[in-house]
Amino acid sequence: MASIVTARDLVKKFNGFTAVDGISFEIKEGECFGFLGPNGAGKTTTIRMIHCVSPKTSGELKVAGLDANVDNRGIKCLLGVIPQELNLDEDLTTYENLVLFAGFFGIPRREAHDRIMELLEFVELKAKMKNRITQLSTGMKRRLQIARALVNQPKLIIADEPTTGLDPQARHLIWQRLRELKKRGTTMVLTTQYMEEAEQLCDEIVIMHQGRIIRQGVPSELIKEEFVGEMIEVRDSKDRVYRRPATLEDVFLKLTGRQLIE
Amino acid sequence: MNLSYRFYYVWRRNLAAYKRFVIPTLLISLGEPFFYLIAMGLGLGAYMGLFGGQSYIHFLASGLVIASVMMTSTFECLYDSYVRMVLEKIWDALIATPLLAEDIIAGDIVWGTFRGVISGFLMYTVAVLLGVLPVSLPIVLTIFCLMVLIGILFGSMAMIVTSFAPSFDFFNYYTELVVSPIFFFSGVFFPLDKMPEWIKFIANLFPLTHAVVIVRATFDDQLNSGHWLNLLAIIVPMMVAFYLALFFMKRRLIK
Repeated sequence: MASIVTARDLVKKFNGFTAVDGISFEIKEGECFGFLGPNGAGKTTTIRMIHCVSPKTSGELKVAGLDANVDNRGIKCLLGVIPQELNLDEDLTTYENLVLFAGFFGIPRREAHDRIMELLEFVELKAKMKNRITQLSTGMKRRLQIARALVNQPKLIIADEPTTGLDPQARHLIWQRLRELKKRGTTMVLTTQYMEEAEQLCDEIVIMHQGRIIRQGVPSELIKEEFVGEMIEVRDSKDRVYRRPATLEDVFLKLTGRQLIE
Repeated sequence: MNLSYRFYYVWRRNLAAYKRFVIPTLLISLGEPFFYLIAMGLGLGAYMGLFGGQSYIHFLASGLVIASVMMTSTFECLYDSYVRMVLEKIWDALIATPLLAEDIIAGDIVWGTFRGVISGFLMYTVAVLLGVLPVSLPIVLTIFCLMVLIGILFGSMAMIVTSFAPSFDFFNYYTELVVSPIFFFSGVFFPLDKMPEWIKFIANLFPLTHAVVIVRATFDDQLNSGHWLNLLAIIVPMMVAFYLALFFMKRRLIK
């Protein structure tokens, strides 16, 4: 499969602090590629470079054959971004938010309308199309941000912690929608701190730590490579011992350490 | 600099969000000029002689028409832009589209200018309705162009301040220490010719002083070729401020 994003020795420095320290990776068309890592690992910085809101310091970064830093506008036309923070237009309704966004991409009004109705159906928000954003729940807002990211029929979707702060019901609904997109062949880049999310959605993951990629692979294989057999968990307060299969979380903790990273 | 026609989208976004507030803000913006003109123009004017052969309210109204553009575009590009950028995170959403930082910043300055021109014309309309200022097509066109220049100038200056602002409180330095003196010493409220030389010298550095001169000449039908210099004293700082606003705000946005 052709690759849609290629990075070679990508570096990002902020006033001497190195946030991303020479990483290389390749994202192929049609796959869901996950960036995992504790806070400050450089995940968000990396994807901000991919969608051209943060210029790289050095190295090579190509998105859909275009050079980041050189052809930013061209790249941004091809992407759909689901941001970590909610940044919907609170002064507008659900529908108006999407129309406005379609406008930014230069999509003609009529075409935009049809696509928006489809998208509202897709994220199950048709009933709320005339509601103002302040009247939506957090889960609804997150879903609307997904619809918004799809309005320009992007070649690549970038989802930065798309389910942070959601209850399990809302989270599963988002996962379901993202899996549906995958099924349709959409390429996705995902950052997450939830290992379950990565196991659910990603075909390929990289684990980042202190600006570097420390492991890369298919989630299930990473677990097999790092742990043989089952996990024995010992809780020393009451000498309880648990036996369970190893998870991606165990891999993550083994690789990034158990100290609190702040 | 990478400015494109897309700044228009930002203006349109602000207009869409503003629709809900049109009636309240129009009422407020109509009230202010009305009270200014009644209280100061008529009230104060009753104790004053003629200003160049005309009443004080005429003198005041012509200055306020342009000063209100400055005030509105200043506050729009301080507080409202800051809210959109920092609190509502609208700009974060905009920048994930084909819009670049320059489009967003310029779009907000143009929006501030638009609001400024509206409030300037509201002031003008009230003055015309009160029978204070004359109205004709050349006058309207001339002051419209002037309002646009002043709007872009002060919108850009405010945007520069916003690009350095850690919080709302920061704006007070600018409004109290820069905008207020300009407002009071640009010949809006009294002629500058009886002021000490050093005040006159400083006042002449204020672009608003030159705008007030042109506006007065327009209303009194006394525009002449000498006013090109006044115009230059507005356009040059405007271009510099606009460029610096894009530069400094981009530096804040793109890291």
